[in-house]
Amino acid sequence: MDFNNKVLWVLNIFGVEVWITQTILSTWIIMLVLIILAVVVRLTLRKWKQIPSGFQNVVELLVESFDGIVKSAAGEKHMGLGNWFFTVFAFVFFSNIVGIFGLRPPTADWATTFALAMATFILIQVMGIRHRKGKYLKSFFEPSFIFFPLNLIGELARPISLSFRLFGNVLAGMILTSLIYSAPIYLRFAIPAVLHVYFDLFSGIVQTYIFCVLSLTFIGIAATPGNET
Amino acid sequence: MRLLLAAATPEGRIFGLDAQTLISAGIILFNVCLLAVVLSLILYKPVRKFLKKRADGIREQLETSKNDMARANELKALYEEKLTETDAERIRILEQAQTHAAERRRKLMETAENEIAAMKAQAAADIQAERVRADEEMRVQMIEVASLMAEKFVALSLDAQTHNRIFEESMAELEHAL
Repeated sequence: MDFNNKVLWVLNIFGVEVWITQTILSTWIIMLVLIILAVVVRLTLRKWKQIPSGFQNVVELLVESFDGIVKSAAGEKHMGLGNWFFTVFAFVFFSNIVGIFGLRPPTADWATTFALAMATFILIQVMGIRHRKGKYLKSFFEPSFIFFPLNLIGELARPISLSFRLFGNVLAGMILTSLIYSAPIYLRFAIPAVLHVYFDLFSGIVQTYIFCVLSLTFIGIAATPGNET
Repeated sequence: MRLLLAAATPEGRIFGLDAQTLISAGIILFNVCLLAVVLSLILYKPVRKFLKKRADGIREQLETSKNDMARANELKALYEEKLTETDAERIRILEQAQTHAAERRRKLMETAENEIAAMKAQAAADIQAERVRADEEMRVQMIEVASLMAEKFVALSLDAQTHNRIFEESMAELEHAL
């Protein structure tokens, strides 16, 4: 039984060793699947009707729901974030459930969740400075300048907590499911299916939603005047 | 760039805090950014554009319907106003026609009465003239009769007594005839 994120290839780029791991391979596969799905949707878009039905309904529901989530979490003036978080949502969701198909979930690797959390962190800072300018930076020194270290730690803790929450949940699910697969044969009936449904589907959807909504909420708080960091 | 086979690669791990984690994070971040651009261009923006276009179309239709409704209400009010005016005009014309007809009737009656009176007067005059003419004719006839009688008397050599009797009888007849 091996829970490790295996290194498939090692590239040497300008003297720097780059590991191509199972996570990165899974990421590419997920990207490919998502792009193929997007192309399929794009090709059918011309035939879409004014009154939606079937597949069109699903896509419309996804986009509209996501716009609604962005609007409620970050506000109407940050609707431009919809594109990014739609991608993050789709990517994280597929990353969480990809274990069902025998691939290693990319979100079971902290590098993935950390990358996504860092993107959120960068967006928080950019949106905060863009919308509140000096007041945002000043908020790090409030209520008094001696609170700066605490505020800074609090700010840095956000991407860390975001990344570890998702990473921990998916990794735990993957380990538990793998343990069952390595258990005696009589335990392999039905139980793995239940675990897949819970850890991959249910927990996968919930964790995806939590990750995106928390990210959007943090951005909304940072970009809205009068809010503390 | 050099590629090492899996057999020669390092052991994998569950978690690590080193440069490889940062490199992997960088690669994944780049991948997700690339995916975001592609999905945005291929899927999200076109779908959103389609939804916006449809929403705008529905909004426009609602606006048009609202305007049509307002226009219809205006026309309805105008129509009702015209109807009221027409009704008033109808009543006015009817009253005018009735007045005119009554006046005309009165005039016709007056003319008819005048004509009747004239005709009556003319008839009375004609009767009177006819009576005078008849009297005259009678008088002439009486004279003729008298002349004839006189001729007869003369012819029969009437005596004075007979002559008087005949004259008296003739005068009596004449008076009776008148």
